[in-house]
Amino acid sequence: MTDQTPNSTEGQGIAGHGSFFQQTDLSAEEAVRATDWVRKHVDRRTVDLGDRMDDVREHMYELEKEGEIIIHRITDDHEPISVKTMFGWDKKVPTKQLWHHKSCGQCGNIPGYPTSIIWFMNEFGFVPGKDYLDETDQTSCTAWNYHGSGIGNVEALAAVFLRNFHQAYVSGKQHGFELGHFFPLVHCGTSFGNYKEIRKYLVESAELREKVTKILGKLGRLVDGKLVIPEEIIHYSEWVHVMRNRIASDLQKIDVSNIRATSHVACHYYKMVHEDAVYDPTVLGGNRTAIITSVAQALGAQVIDYSTWYDCCGFGFRHIISEREFTRSFTMDRKIRVAREEANADVMLANDTGCVTTMDKNQWIGRAHDKNFSIPIMADVQFAALACGADPFKIVQLQWHASPCEDLVEKMGISWSEAKSTFQEYLKEVEAGNIEYLYNPELAYGGKA
Amino acid sequence: MQQIYDDIRGDFRYDHELNGCLNCGICTATCPSAQFYDYSPREIVQLLWTENVEQIYDAMQEKIWACAQCMTCAARCPFKNSPGGLVAIMREVAIKHEMQSAKDVLRPFGRVMLKLITTGNQLSPDMIQPDHFPDWGPNIQKVEGDLLTLRKAIPVKTLQTVETAWEVSLKTSVEMYTIWEMTGVLDSLELMDENLFDVIEDFIDEKREDYEDWLEEQEEEDDD
Ligand code: SF4
Ligand code: SF4
Repeated sequence: MTDQTPNSTEGQGIAGHGSFFQQTDLSAEEAVRATDWVRKHVDRRTVDLGDRMDDVREHMYELEKEGEIIIHRITDDHEPISVKTMFGWDKKVPTKQLWHHKSCGQCGNIPGYPTSIIWFMNEFGFVPGKDYLDETDQTSCTAWNYHGSGIGNVEALAAVFLRNFHQAYVSGKQHGFELGHFFPLVHCGTSFGNYKEIRKYLVESAELREKVTKILGKLGRLVDGKLVIPEEIIHYSEWVHVMRNRIASDLQKIDVSNIRATSHVACHYYKMVHEDAVYDPTVLGGNRTAIITSVAQALGAQVIDYSTWYDCCGFGFRHIISEREFTRSFTMDRKIRVAREEANADVMLANDTGCVTTMDKNQWIGRAHDKNFSIPIMADVQFAALACGADPFKIVQLQWHASPCEDLVEKMGISWSEAKSTFQEYLKEVEAGNIEYLYNPELAYGGKA
Repeated sequence: MQQIYDDIRGDFRYDHELNGCLNCGICTATCPSAQFYDYSPREIVQLLWTENVEQIYDAMQEKIWACAQCMTCAARCPFKNSPGGLVAIMREVAIKHEMQSAKDVLRPFGRVMLKLITTGNQLSPDMIQPDHFPDWGPNIQKVEGDLLTLRKAIPVKTLQTVETAWEVSLKTSVEMYTIWEMTGVLDSLELMDENLFDVIEDFIDEKREDYEDWLEEQEEEDDD
């Protein structure tokens, strides 16, 4: 460092950086080159990462050959559609015979998102109990607790994962089908990330497999004394992604070309075990994961980008409960404000319970700080259901959302007030015990189709 | 202190999560928590990378609890480190060593933890009410009405519940308790909050009894 360097103080380096700090003195061209390097390696998905990373599925096939595990396979009966993941690997997404693995946040909080998924399956003529199953024999992945509190461990998460997915594997039997008939469809972003992480550990660690085999044995959840691991972990938004063109061509009833849609993809969808997230060169240049945006595009909405696309919503597991200032400040300043001011969005679409909750519920209090901006928040599948003519209350269940969905619904040409009064009439029917179901409720309890 | 460090380093995930560190700060630049707290994922990684045992201990007194576990850092790090993953290990170790920071930080989370451990579900419909979350505003539902009726209006039978997000069969819950016990999760809970642990134990015992009764009933029915 020389005396001419404007910010230097003799022997102390640049203020605040310590004496070891050296200015780079890059020329303008060099700075551009360096920045380009960072862009290539950080902004864009990088190919070289793929070279250094093993495909976990290869190891699963080896373990299966050695007789260590059973792979719950996706077969032709599941009518899979192949997509590419971040590293260009193929991923099979089953479209049928799905076991709904519910999300503990979403079902309690945003029930319109599981109902919209099931509604779509019915609209496609899927037969409940054959083409899909929704049953009570499942726990949540319990990763919220682990990420929130640190109370828990990999062994417990692995046992929960294997228990739930064993149930998915054997569930078809009750309905007169083969083992493996139903393939798990994971509704929650965190479950999806957590399960993939745990699957990796299980495949890598013989010690972990040995420990959990004891637990699963005690629960009676081994098949031929072996652990059952699914061939792919599938997130519901991947199902929506592969079905998007059929949704648009077969079911869409409402023109949404006047709707400005922004998306927020769950961190645990594409940042955890990121090599497995779905990318498509026709969606945002293949630089960002395709899901959510792809369905908005297929429906013909105007997809608007914004500068904080990559940012987390601020959910934070424990933070949304006990450090609420962080959660709401982050969501208001980094997501809602930006989507409002930069993109003038009519709606923000997401694919996880935590994100929808965080961004939906924290808008009201913003006004206390003169943050008077708001945007309706919902899951991609709820928006798609609206576009396909689903009832905003009975099916899409927008009554549970705190964000202002009314204007969006009206802009789509659906009368909010009419739908609301019809629903209020329906509530009287519900009180009288006349309840409408999307499928035979006995199936929920493992009954026959 | 050394033991704490050894426990962190001894976790089998450690080598996955830490491969080296350029000190580039990309993780911190993208970290939501770094914008709101005196917290930096780069610092956490550097402390572990340079084996700065004393400061690792200090960071565990508070800082590690700032991490939101979003894993943005992991997706961005050119070295494929996962600062968020390292924090997860450090939190587990903080609990194992009964650190006060863990107890303090987790206390306000107790009500949710009770729900989580006993039902496997978290924010249930009966919790998402204005008295629990006044800052979510007066109208967190757009339709007036009794909560149970509103839940019954959801056209999916498994979701017509109020105390849990969906109906979970008794057998399933009992299996989950076995997992908690066999993997030491309940022991960790006892270290952190003995009162909460007692409440949870009572709850679990009750559920197990219910399950035994149910099994007996089934047998009697079969005998008939
Ligand atoms: S996981 Fe933690 S350290 Fe990493 S970016 Fe998110 S909040 Fe920051
Ligand atoms: S991004 Fe990775 S290499 Fe850079 S400071 Fe963070 S942990 Fe270190």
